[in-house]
Amino acid sequence: MTIENIGLFQAMNAKMRYLAQRQNVISQNVANADTPGYVSQDLNKVDFSRMVERVGSQNKMHVSMGVSNPGHQLPENQAANPKEIKNKKPFEVAPDGNAVILEEQMVRSSETQIDYSLMLNLYRNNVDMIKTALGSNK
Amino acid sequence: MSDIINTMKISGAGMRVQSERVRVIAQNMANSDTAPSKPGELPYTRKTITFKNQMDREIGEKLVQVDKIEQDKEADYVKKYMPGHPAADADGYVMMPNVSSLIEMMDMREASKSYEANLNMYTQTRDMAAKTIDILR
Repeated sequence: MTIENIGLFQAMNAKMRYLAQRQNVISQNVANADTPGYVSQDLNKVDFSRMVERVGSQNKMHVSMGVSNPGHQLPENQAANPKEIKNKKPFEVAPDGNAVILEEQMVRSSETQIDYSLMLNLYRNNVDMIKTALGSNK
Repeated sequence: MSDIINTMKISGAGMRVQSERVRVIAQNMANSDTAPSKPGELPYTRKTITFKNQMDREIGEKLVQVDKIEQDKEADYVKKYMPGHPAADADGYVMMPNVSSLIEMMDMREASKSYEANLNMYTQTRDMAAKTIDILR
């Protein structure tokens, strides 16, 4: 049994991967703050609360199905693949067609940062709890 | 983790293009008084820089790069009355570069603001990575 088989850790893992990917997209936006015609992007929101709900009831071993065709649907307890979406209604567009607002990106990046710290602390606390249960933490 | 490393590379590319931009601006400023040597010749022409977002196959992400550095033909040259100058025409006017220090300063400010934003992203991502590694302790 590894830690990845525990539902809660799976959920936290997914969320952390999502946040790292979001940070990636935001840094892409910031790097292109002066590229003509570039429109800022973001990841569409993934509903993690639904995932966590299922984690409680699905703490048994399960085999997940592979997706090899775009028509295949994901099992319900798996997070949807967050897709990159273009900002449809930019707040302001520069004359060269660039629609990146640095302030907005900074706010998003802080959000990501805070969520990531939260996940890390939760992760650590849960690991500590397991350690305590095992009696290895004195 | 590779996501985080790639994020840092993207920010790094952002910083690189902005410093290239500052270099072009410095060149414009340094040559703001470069007059031609003979009458009829053109003086120094202001340079402009544009960026593009191009796929980097090595890391599989789009990195921002310098698109092209061109000469600014739109802005008009300034005519200055200097009859003693070797490049003065029959009426005593010399063609001076189309560099406006005000525009260059604004450009410079924007470049340094964008650079700072990239640096910010870099530091934040680095902190994220460092904290993740801290779990191991």
